[in-house]
Amino acid sequence: MNTGDVTKATVKDKGFPWQVVRQAIIIIILCLLAFITLVPILFMIVSSLKSNSQILGSFWSLPSPPQWGNYNEAFSSIWRYIMNTIAYAVAGSLIVIVLSSISGYIFAKKTFPGKEMLFLMMLAMMMIPGVLTLIPSFVLYENLGLTNTPWVIIIASAAGGQIFGTFLCRSSMSGIPNELFEAARMDGATERTVFIRMVLPLSLPILATLFIMHSVGVYNDYIWPLLTIRDSNIQVIAVGLTLFKKQFGVTDMGVQFAAYAISSIPLVLIFSFGMKYYIQGMTQGALKM
Amino acid sequence: MRKLTQVAIAILLLLSLFPAVVQAEEGWSVEQAGNITSISVAEDGSRIAVGGYGAKAFVFDSAGKQQFAVDAKNVVTGVNLLNNGNLIVSSDDRHLYAYDSAGKLLWDTNMKRQVKDVSSSPDGSIISVIIQNSTELQYIDGATGEVKGTADISIGMKSVSVSGNGQWVAVGATDQYIHLLDSEGKVVRKMGLDSAVESVAVSDEGEVAAGTTAYAVELFDKEGKRDAKLAAKDIVTDVAFTRDGQFIGVSDFSGNFYVFSRAGKKLWETKVSGAGREVEFDKEGKTLYGGTEQGQVHKYDVGTVVEGAKKQARNQALLLSAIGVAVVLLILFGLYVMKKRNRLGIFKTIWRSKLIYLGLAPSFLLLFVFLYYPAFSGLFHSLYDWNPGGRTTFVGLDNFKRMFEDPYVAKGMGNLGLLIVTGLFKTLIPPLIVAELIFFLRSKKMQYWFRTAFTASMIIPGVAMLLIWQNLYDPNIGLFNQLLSGLGLGTFAHAWLGDPNTALWAIIFIGFPFIGILQLLVFYAGLLGIPDELIESAKMDGATLPRIIRSIHLPLLAGQFKFLIILALIGIVQDFNGILIVTGGGPMDSTYVPALQMYYAATKFDDLGYASALGVAMFFVILIITVINLKFLKTQD
Repeated sequence: MNTGDVTKATVKDKGFPWQVVRQAIIIIILCLLAFITLVPILFMIVSSLKSNSQILGSFWSLPSPPQWGNYNEAFSSIWRYIMNTIAYAVAGSLIVIVLSSISGYIFAKKTFPGKEMLFLMMLAMMMIPGVLTLIPSFVLYENLGLTNTPWVIIIASAAGGQIFGTFLCRSSMSGIPNELFEAARMDGATERTVFIRMVLPLSLPILATLFIMHSVGVYNDYIWPLLTIRDSNIQVIAVGLTLFKKQFGVTDMGVQFAAYAISSIPLVLIFSFGMKYYIQGMTQGALKM
Repeated sequence: MRKLTQVAIAILLLLSLFPAVVQAEEGWSVEQAGNITSISVAEDGSRIAVGGYGAKAFVFDSAGKQQFAVDAKNVVTGVNLLNNGNLIVSSDDRHLYAYDSAGKLLWDTNMKRQVKDVSSSPDGSIISVIIQNSTELQYIDGATGEVKGTADISIGMKSVSVSGNGQWVAVGATDQYIHLLDSEGKVVRKMGLDSAVESVAVSDEGEVAAGTTAYAVELFDKEGKRDAKLAAKDIVTDVAFTRDGQFIGVSDFSGNFYVFSRAGKKLWETKVSGAGREVEFDKEGKTLYGGTEQGQVHKYDVGTVVEGAKKQARNQALLLSAIGVAVVLLILFGLYVMKKRNRLGIFKTIWRSKLIYLGLAPSFLLLFVFLYYPAFSGLFHSLYDWNPGGRTTFVGLDNFKRMFEDPYVAKGMGNLGLLIVTGLFKTLIPPLIVAELIFFLRSKKMQYWFRTAFTASMIIPGVAMLLIWQNLYDPNIGLFNQLLSGLGLGTFAHAWLGDPNTALWAIIFIGFPFIGILQLLVFYAGLLGIPDELIESAKMDGATLPRIIRSIHLPLLAGQFKFLIILALIGIVQDFNGILIVTGGGPMDSTYVPALQMYYAATKFDDLGYASALGVAMFFVILIITVINLKFLKTQD
């Protein structure tokens, strides 16, 4: 940190550690802001361990005794939604990875007639906002008989996600030096071998990014499943949580909060392994736009 | 130039895919009829009888020319045309009348009480009458007008219908039962309804349709099992079967007329002014007559409607093949031109790249079918009254006109304005401040920890976060009110989401202190990307910290600002997730936004054309934002 060093030097001349005070103030402000940002999460965790009377009676105190049973009850109500959503997210992400890596590779490394036009067609679709397609898409899936089946979630997410994926893969794969491929082809490697043995392994980070971003996207999606899925056996977690709230009403606040906490477990897992990739995807996507 | 013509041709062909099916409608107004209570169509379709509050019954020919009118002394409650040309009229003046085809009175029976409804088979063998406050259905002898029999059914009988072949009589009563009688007057079965019956109809097969006050028509099959429920938009005032029982006509209190298929699919609907009162088909089911409370008789040529679906499919197939032929011709022409110019080599290249195209095929299949098609479908159908599976009517710019008159859209635009202003503040200022603060931390470790702390909230699914915030606003057990009362400010406690004055602000406040993860990371990465030399040389020149931020950081973050602004604008215009979950647009209309109105138009009101139009309007708003932003970007660089 060059900046810091320079200022430190000037501060030393003055004989009073202004820099330290300034750092302390920054840290205090940041701590305060971080705390406020995280209040809803803390509130959720504390409340999830309380019974109704504990919430109403001693609002500010920590749960004593903690009601671990809330988690049991919540889990039995929403595990199915969570499992459904994970299944859709994984299936959708795999499709996205397959399609995006192939298209990304082709757009990055191949020349063929109509390449520019096809790529523009993909790009153009990124500019189309969801509000325009939401209702007509619903009608389309309805006419195809796909509503109220898992496919409506998987296909819809894959169709939209592969565009961003292709985009991401293309810019990452165009960074792989061509000499590598040339050498492999000299040794008689077929196109398929090159793709599977070289391109894919070299692109693992971007594919991981894609997988994580897409899974998180599916996991957080609310409007589309709400519109297209009616059967609660195949419903996703986002809609499930609102159903769950209606089902329990005000009668069981603690269980509700426990359900919210449980619903974040898959995200906790995926972020603890792949936070780096997620942030990469987010900022990369942002900068490339 | 040729390109332009080609594009024009392609657009024309595409447009013709959605044929502008303008509804052939005629009708006439019946002077003095008042609120129409009943319509009857003669078996051969040549004559139509109409009765109403005006205490008169009218007979028209099929073109709407009045043949004669007869007087009753009170509201005409029912009219029936028989095959022999006779007209049966029931009235609240407690009489039942019969007239011959010239309008001469045949007989006049005093029923002692008000006659509520009459229905007869076309051959006149069964004439059944409901009398007020009687539990008995009366059978009348068509020749003399005398009561020839009764059937004890139920109190509060409301509506009676005799099937075209005279085999069945259905009676709807206020006890929420439909009673089905055979031709001998024996009750075959009773069928329970979900709500109060307004009107009943029975087909030759003994299938029963009952229109209810719960905005629905309940359909029962031959065995008396309910197998479909048709949704109307208001209280159903009348139902009618076609003779073959394949289609059902429905009128409702808001002036909507519908045609449904027997399977329960809505094939057609239209709206007239004033409440719809009566519907009746002619024998072939080709014409639907609808009567309103204002004495209008509307005549709809629904023969095309009932065949509409089939026909439309056929038309589309024809058009598609026409387009196919045109495309082939165009290609051949193009090939010819290319051959002349000796440019056919490109096909060799294309053929050599066949594996590449094969590899792209799945991606583009998804792209075209599930993204491009809906986008264009939305653009097209915003000009239509869109009923998938049924009749889709071209309405031009009506949907867009309606948008300007829709108070919810107006309210929503105001709210959206506020959301955009506050949203831009939220998306730029707090994340920038935090990014600067983190950037100025000396310890790398600290930087990392704070960055992680501020991104930690993404472990909560978005919907769960919204529900938690909804709970924080709870008037009794919410964190805010508890905090206020804990600080001794209990008087400020408030039903934040329940009060129209505070609800929108409560929604805006969700996510305080608004340190968006993406925004923070983008700014932070931007700050890290600023070359150190710049800052050092500035310091050499004696620049203070605020000066550095103002003169170096902010200008160099311009790209990030623009990106985040456009992203925020696009996001805010489209977003209704939070509002749908937290307030649902309420209380009253205080938190509506246009996108929410679009969602409701599609889901609650089944108004897909209008919903598409709203989507298209928002699309153009977003397009304009993007274009302005791109222009702005260009001039800057």
